[in-house]
Amino acid sequence: MITLSNTLTSKKEKLPLFVRLKKEWKKNSIVYIVLIPILIHFVIFQVYPFLLSFYLTFMDWKVIGDAEFVGLKHWKYLFSDTLAWKAIWNTVKFSIYYIVPTMALGLILALIINSGVRGAKFFKGIFFLPVVTSFVIIAGIWGWLFRGTEEGMINYIIGFVGIEPQLFLSDSSQALAVLAGLSVFKVAGSTMIYYFAGLQSIDRQLYEAARIDGASPFKIFWNVTFPLLKPIHFYVAITTTIGSFQIFDSAYLLTGGGPNYATTTIVYYLYTQGFTSLNLSYAAVLSYVLFFIILIISLIQRRYLGKESNHY
Amino acid sequence: MKKVISYTALFVLGFCFLMPFIIMILGSLKEVEYAQLDPLFWIPDDPTLKNYKYILNDGLFLRWIWNSVVITVIPVFSQMLFCAILGYIFAKKQFIGREFIFWVFMGVIMIPQQLLIIPKYIMFSDFGWINTYWALIVPEIWGIMGVFLVRQFLQGIPNDLEEAAYIDGANDLQVFVKIILPLSVPVVATVGTFSFISNWNDLFQPLIYLTQETMFPVTLGLASILGKEGNFGIEMAGSAVSFIPTFLIFMFFQRFFTEGIQMSGLK
Repeated sequence: MITLSNTLTSKKEKLPLFVRLKKEWKKNSIVYIVLIPILIHFVIFQVYPFLLSFYLTFMDWKVIGDAEFVGLKHWKYLFSDTLAWKAIWNTVKFSIYYIVPTMALGLILALIINSGVRGAKFFKGIFFLPVVTSFVIIAGIWGWLFRGTEEGMINYIIGFVGIEPQLFLSDSSQALAVLAGLSVFKVAGSTMIYYFAGLQSIDRQLYEAARIDGASPFKIFWNVTFPLLKPIHFYVAITTTIGSFQIFDSAYLLTGGGPNYATTTIVYYLYTQGFTSLNLSYAAVLSYVLFFIILIISLIQRRYLGKESNHY
Repeated sequence: MKKVISYTALFVLGFCFLMPFIIMILGSLKEVEYAQLDPLFWIPDDPTLKNYKYILNDGLFLRWIWNSVVITVIPVFSQMLFCAILGYIFAKKQFIGREFIFWVFMGVIMIPQQLLIIPKYIMFSDFGWINTYWALIVPEIWGIMGVFLVRQFLQGIPNDLEEAAYIDGANDLQVFVKIILPLSVPVVATVGTFSFISNWNDLFQPLIYLTQETMFPVTLGLASILGKEGNFGIEMAGSAVSFIPTFLIFMFFQRFFTEGIQMSGLK
């Protein structure tokens, strides 16, 4: 084997090394001039931090002085840290409140836009506007809308139908749902874009055929449109799930993780551990937990999408 | 009947989606203490520009806007440039390790930002980058997602034009500048708009790397006054001013947002 591969390479190496390098440089100089600095940048700002973070999980990092090797201490602590598990559970709950409503609202918006109404482009812009708006702006208004006093806007509105004023962000059983509502409002516009593209790619003849068969609009939607959107459902479900596990901004801005840790999500907990308690090593452990969760979701996506594309 | 439902839904939902923005604008024209807000405070009577005058005369707010401009504009332009040229290299050039490097890029894209921020905080402390623009600019000068988008776009374009140019004796740089770049304007604009939105709206990274109020971008600055007792109108006026660039970019480049979202979905 070794001799065979040696002879193969030596056959190629007819030209002296210097000449070959010169030829390659002449052919691809632009590649090397651009790619080498970019790869150095990539290693410094992505690869090295990734490895450093893993190394950190086995150390006790200190603000002053050298880090000390502590082995699996932080990983072990993770399993007994009830607050970490609460944070994970809160994030899962947030996902439950957030994923299906975002998908449903996005689909509804896309269906309306796609139904041949006038001004569809204008309204598409309005629905998309929250996507490009910062969390800070939306949270400022959201916090006012969901004030937990009688003066709050939402309390004022639900008062008309006889519902008692709710505490919303100050109630540990409601706060997370209010934050999820903010995210639904912010993200539904981008879900709409995916569904809109999906709806436009459906062959109109299918609708015609169903209509001739006497199917009602609702039946057409449920038996033709909805199943045909399956790849979009899947893609949107994955991206919103990944997004939901990274939720931080609204918890930081509106609740500070409270009340009673009810809105302490994984990233919020990671932030307080790392940057308020300055326990960076344990925060690194938590960030790896987040990474593993996202990795698993992404792998499911790749596997499924790989299967899908084999069908065609 | 179907039309009636469609239009009703369109207007109701459109109103709901616009409502927060309307409240932001109308609220910014009011002088009202947060504690005294009533549900209908925003209904305009006696509008005033006092809040805008206040924040524009307040050196700190303008400083926040300026900081946001610095940490947004530089990455936007460098991302457009680097992602264009890297996208071209990965789509059109043959070189050793091309597939491998791209495969590594696609793997690394799955690493959440929140994981990298802890080691980066330690690194930047050593570099002396805490409370400087560097921490927010240097890591953002190019991005894997942008390279992916440009590469995807250019792979769909036949090589005829370039080959003709090579026959005419053009070199890579000339081909890139004269042929590839003009062709990639839409996708490069997409990269730019995405980069603008992610940098202008970013809260998490500034929160970690910046502690001095004078270095805050406008997101972090607004967050520091959010919900504090005081004039709610000032908060809304600040939000409205910080929203203007986003809104303008959105108005002019909406197409690139939506196309970019669709493209990134077609992995």
